[in-house]
Amino acid sequence: MRSMASYEARTRRFSRAEYERLIDLGVFQPGEAIELIGGELMVAEPQGTAHYTAIRKTAKALEAAFGPGWEVRTEGPIGLDDDSEPEPDVAVVSGSPEDYSRAHPSRPALTVEVSESSLAVDRRHKGSLYARAGLADYWILNLVDRVLEVYREPAPDPAAPFGWRYTRREVFDASARVNALAAAGSSIPVSYLLP
Amino acid sequence: MTQAERPVLRRWTRHEYERLIDHGFLAEDDPVELLDGLLLVKEPQHSAHRTAVLLVAKAVERAFGEGWFVQTQSPIILGDRSEPEPDVCVVRGSPRDYVDAHPTRPALVVEVAQSGLRLARGRKAAAYARARIADYWIVNLVDRVLEVHREPARPGPARRHWGYAAIETLGADATITPFSAPSAGIPVADLLP
Repeated sequence: MRSMASYEARTRRFSRAEYERLIDLGVFQPGEAIELIGGELMVAEPQGTAHYTAIRKTAKALEAAFGPGWEVRTEGPIGLDDDSEPEPDVAVVSGSPEDYSRAHPSRPALTVEVSESSLAVDRRHKGSLYARAGLADYWILNLVDRVLEVYREPAPDPAAPFGWRYTRREVFDASARVNALAAAGSSIPVSYLLP
Repeated sequence: MTQAERPVLRRWTRHEYERLIDHGFLAEDDPVELLDGLLLVKEPQHSAHRTAVLLVAKAVERAFGEGWFVQTQSPIILGDRSEPEPDVCVVRGSPRDYVDAHPTRPALVVEVAQSGLRLARGRKAAAYARARIADYWIVNLVDRVLEVHREPARPGPARRHWGYAAIETLGADATITPFSAPSAGIPVADLLP
């Protein structure tokens, strides 16, 4: 079951192809923060100063950790599956910007959401969506508790919103260092990410 | 900061909804209606549902008489973010009065509900109450009763959303008088399939 069973009423779903056509046609308001998640159009978390600062700090830290051959994207679309086009706060993809001039990247090596009011949604819904897509390394920079949550090893779970979840979860506080799966030998101080 | 427990759906305006239709995203006969900014998929039409719609249309047409007309599963406009298509509604005047724009203030709205009962009592009741629809009926096919919703009430200490303050449930042996046709009496049995 791909739908989110918690809704009392079913809404009209959009495919990713339809969503991209809606964008091309200019149906949405300029600058509107929306994402396609499992066929549904979701409103993204409003950007506070701490949220935006965290995105910039994380992007810089990841650029340094991954080095050449990797592209760090902030709030860029990911062509995740046929009915999802999320815009994670930070995503690390292989290659360079030109590689994605015709199609959005689909499988980031690392996906990061900066979470304040969206913490529950980022854990449960986005976590399930990214696990379903097989994304190996998903981080939530939790601004509420000032910790980094690292999610790995996706596996099926019928109770999850999209039928998958991460089975490994580690939490690091500001004094810890973290390594990215795809950047062997990286050791990033969590304090470099927090605002 | 408040925590959202589930994703927040993007709401559509009526203007955007019309653009979706113009661009072919929604066909005229797609089972979708715009309710409070959400593109809701309508309840599938089983034969009992269709029968109830026809029975209700016939009964209310007779009850209201001259100066009114009945439309079934056709759009009405309730503000910038709602363009629902109620199963039955009674509108003042004649169809030609609405050549240029959909009706906005029906005197009576009726939904026939089976699997969509929760939606009819929840989001739909809220949207109709907010639009100050004075008389809203749900033909409840599950329990074979008529639910009559009156007195639109705004959110406050007693309710989180718009809703109706007076809700009455009538069995098949009762008679209902529409709010705007005070001299008529419709046996509830005439509305049930």
